[in-house]
Amino acid sequence: MAGLTYDQGPSLVAPLRLFLLAPLFLMLAAVAGIALGPDWLSGRWSPAALALTHLITLGYLGAVMQGALLQMLAVVLGSPMPWSGVLSWCGQLGLGIGSPLLAAGLLFGAPVCLGVASVALALAWLPFLAGVAVALSRALSGGEMDWPLRLAGLALPVTVLTGLALAGALAGLWSVPDLAGLVDLHAGWGLYGWILVLVVGVAYQVVPMLQITPAYPRRVTRALAWLLPAGLLAYTLEVLSGLPGLHWLGLAAAGGGSLVFAAATLTLQQRRRRKLADVTLDFWRLGLAALILSTLLYAGLGVLPDSLRTGAELSLGLLFLLGFAASVVNGMLYKIVPFLAWFNLQSQTGARAGTIPNMREMIDEAAGRRHFRLHVVAVCLLVPAPFLPAWLASLGLLALALSGHGLWLNLRAARAAFLAYGGRL
Amino acid sequence: MNKEILVDARWLEPPEPIERVLDALDRLGVGERIRFLIHREPLPLFPILDRLGYRHEVRLLDDGDFEILIRAG
Repeated sequence: MAGLTYDQGPSLVAPLRLFLLAPLFLMLAAVAGIALGPDWLSGRWSPAALALTHLITLGYLGAVMQGALLQMLAVVLGSPMPWSGVLSWCGQLGLGIGSPLLAAGLLFGAPVCLGVASVALALAWLPFLAGVAVALSRALSGGEMDWPLRLAGLALPVTVLTGLALAGALAGLWSVPDLAGLVDLHAGWGLYGWILVLVVGVAYQVVPMLQITPAYPRRVTRALAWLLPAGLLAYTLEVLSGLPGLHWLGLAAAGGGSLVFAAATLTLQQRRRRKLADVTLDFWRLGLAALILSTLLYAGLGVLPDSLRTGAELSLGLLFLLGFAASVVNGMLYKIVPFLAWFNLQSQTGARAGTIPNMREMIDEAAGRRHFRLHVVAVCLLVPAPFLPAWLASLGLLALALSGHGLWLNLRAARAAFLAYGGRL
Repeated sequence: MNKEILVDARWLEPPEPIERVLDALDRLGVGERIRFLIHREPLPLFPILDRLGYRHEVRLLDDGDFEILIRAG
């Protein structure tokens, strides 16, 4: 029986270090976007758009996902990450230095920034990859439930190594034979293979456990065990071979898998046993709705006229990264951090019930909801931004900065409650 | 049979099940036991019980819930 085995997991401090770093990059991306003006709206491959994208994917999502995996592989695969304290330091230092330098390097085309960023990001990711590999190699297979995590564990090194190869090539350290193909592989494996598939693997565990729903039906986990890897394989072969038929095969598998996952999760959440208002649930519903819309928009890109396509591609990226990934990640943080804080506090102090804050008291519900509202405003203004006046995009970025600030304050509040009741970091 | 304290925490949100067990431990008299019912195996509870000096037995029930019997060690 799978379950949370926190006695094998790291202390609160290792993941929290990364969780507290992450919102700073959300704020930095938003402030940088405001400072850059409408440059980033000109297309997804513009230097400004690439810079902002990497602040969000590496700095924000990367830091949260590293922190979550530090304690979650023990949970899901029964195999704890080794060296979690060291990996957490490497992640904090490497992402903290590497993400802004990479963004600056992409923005200004500065080889020195790109070169130093590559070294820092290698520090953040290569030891982490080794830790994931050790944990995966020690884990016993739990069947279809494990599949997404194992696939994400494969997608991460592909994303990291293609990213480092691209950064090195742009820094002039070496050349790569097919730059455009490598960019497509990096983006596809990163966004789909790593982010989406990891969310699926984590959802299998945390949705039933923390949102008190029935388990994912067997037919869903079985279908996704085929659809998710098939989508990634078809996409990869399409990039490598250019055969047009593979695009539709990949779209059917990846799009079908995304829709099955979103529909199954929304259905389970509808059947949760306790119908209490919960900001995590709101974040998840928003995220899953954005995943459905992203899938439909991706499928429809091919039929859009050229005049709309550039803007629609940018909207798709914003919908997937902010609407889906950031929403789901925010929702998970509001469960994971209070639970880790409560559990570590209980373990360290041996306190009886009622003498320490419970999970709901670690982060104020109203403060979580304020953060959610700001996030909704940011998503609603930024997703259609390519088609709206530029000042609305700036307003959306302002909401994004405030939402990152709200998240940071809320995570700090959980840390403060932990310390105030005698917890030791 | 000695007195038994029933803690039915099925479908409660974490960490309330564990909090209820910790609360029941305070009320547990000599020779008594706690019968704890829960919808998932409460793995985080077990190291806490070990550290506090309690023994536990885990049984998977036919309906998929778990029964954990807890006694002083």
